Amino acid sequence: MIQTLLYGLTIGAILYFFAIGLSITFGTMQIINFAHAMVYALGVYFLITFMPLVKGIFPLATLCAIVAVIPVAYIMERFVIRRLYGESLDYAMIATYALLLIGTDLIKAVWGNTPQPISDPIGLSFQLLGIDIPVYRALIVVMAVVVFVALKLFFTKSIVGKIVVAALEDTEGVRCLGLNVDKYFSMVFILGSALAVLGGILYAPIATAEPYMGHDILLIAFAVVIVGGMGNLTGTFVSAFLLGMVLAITGRYWSQAADTMVFAVMAAVLIFRRSDK
Amino acid sequence: MNPDTSLSQIASTKRITIYRDMVLIAAGFFALIPLLAIHRVTDFMIFCIFVMSFDLLYGYMGRLSFGQMLYLGTGVYVSTLFSLHFSPNPILSLMAGVVGGAIVAGILGLIVVGLEGASFALTNLAFNQVGFFLIGSAFQRVTHGEDGISAGVEPWGFLDFANEPAAFGFVLLCLLFTFFMLRILTSSPFGIIIRSIKENESRVKFLGYNTFFYKWLTFVLAGAFAALAGTLYTLYVGFVSPVFIHPLNNVEVIFAALIGGAGNLFGALIGGVLFMSMKDSLSTHIPQWEWILGVLLLVIVFWLRGGVTGLIKSLTGYVKTKMAKGMAEEVEKG
Repeated sequence: MIQTLLYGLTIGAILYFFAIGLSITFGTMQIINFAHAMVYALGVYFLITFMPLVKGIFPLATLCAIVAVIPVAYIMERFVIRRLYGESLDYAMIATYALLLIGTDLIKAVWGNTPQPISDPIGLSFQLLGIDIPVYRALIVVMAVVVFVALKLFFTKSIVGKIVVAALEDTEGVRCLGLNVDKYFSMVFILGSALAVLGGILYAPIATAEPYMGHDILLIAFAVVIVGGMGNLTGTFVSAFLLGMVLAITGRYWSQAADTMVFAVMAAVLIFRRSDK
Repeated sequence: MNPDTSLSQIASTKRITIYRDMVLIAAGFFALIPLLAIHRVTDFMIFCIFVMSFDLLYGYMGRLSFGQMLYLGTGVYVSTLFSLHFSPNPILSLMAGVVGGAIVAGILGLIVVGLEGASFALTNLAFNQVGFFLIGSAFQRVTHGEDGISAGVEPWGFLDFANEPAAFGFVLLCLLFTFFMLRILTSSPFGIIIRSIKENESRVKFLGYNTFFYKWLTFVLAGAFAALAGTLYTLYVGFVSPVFIHPLNNVEVIFAALIGGAGNLFGALIGGVLFMSMKDSLSTHIPQWEWILGVLLLVIVFWLRGGVTGLIKSLTGYVKTKMAKGMAEEVEKG
């Protein structure tokens, strides 16, 4: 059971890394970004490419992969997403879905279709209450908490963060203060993409790298964003771990039903939330 | 003039245009037969019914769903299981599938219809995922999961789906029926209300309409017509697998509706045919062709919002103004 709980925490952490970008993009730009799944998978494939170049040092390769994804995220934001700003939600969804289709085929063309395993970069485990716990998984959970605190500080203390939070509340108001909102949105978009890449890379050793890895987590992450409230950063953190637990506990008894259980929770939240509006 | 007679005159000219359009559509599909094999045209027409059902929801009511495959799949599986366990009669299986789709849409509609925009799209996608799980894994014993299952439909009278011309004729009748119903529906007061909901829902509410009911009814109808397309797949293909309910396939119907021009039944038909012929020709030449779909989707979103029908309309409009200008100039000269 402790194994299951730990697995839930790990999945929750990965979901948090992924969902935070979705949540920010939705909160600031009112855009549902399907292409997030593409960035997530792309980062992992960059990692695979960089691993031999940096002599297999995992953290260094991770850093390289994140840096490599930044221009991709910038191009996507600048030439597709920014052009859809303020447009109807449907077109934004369709355009980012189109990016996902293109990106997935590109990944298949460059790196091939077959799943590629990535080994656990630490490989050690420690004993807790008589159970083997891989250090790597514990580290993922710790990193999620660190990122959460860092983001909290970023959004409450730094100027950029404060501007973005204000824009989440009232974009037009911030624009009227003479601030270039688009520039800040672009920055948080890249930040969200970088976090998704981090999540993807951290998850890759637990699963395997394959072109559709982003598709699988995308739906669950949307559920996280809906349950946590779109653009609500603390809510995203809580709901990521909550749904991570739902996944792990359901998966322990019936692995194929795990996703379905998450959507059941989401539907329940949607019905419940509407009634108190 | 008596206002009643003029109204009935308008109604009768409307009816005449519907019949004219139906003859045009039938002629169009007959014309496709020499170009493609007849079984491809039948396949195309089934997909076109599905696109029309999606267009009712998206094009007319402005609700983008990423989960319309659920209703297609419900039609497919309900009719298959009905034919295996109750009766091999194709018409009864068809009715069972359509009713099944309508019931599922009726129940889930109560939950999703109150949502808007992203929540609506994603909740539908989530339900589709659940349906895929139920068909593919949970009820494996009944549906044989990924392995698929053969339908037990037998020929009934002249309705034999192994006979290509008979299948073509029956599917064409179903397509014309769908077109007729949706055309009547969308040009009726009901249709005006759902189009107004697309433009501005709160104003429709202020006028005293119960928008929830109209949205729910439209959702159920869209589900029922999608299920009709599904049952036709069962009858025609005879072998079903979870591909028919897979959530990733939703992009196909969205793409078809957009490329033809959303909010226009002709657009849905053109889009359905265009998408299917694209899929046929591309997938035989290029193994990975989804990126082409992606590029075309971006083109549509940025430069071609009206789709093919929108393009034709603006082109004819351009030619007309050009001609009018030319005539005006001639008049000035003369």
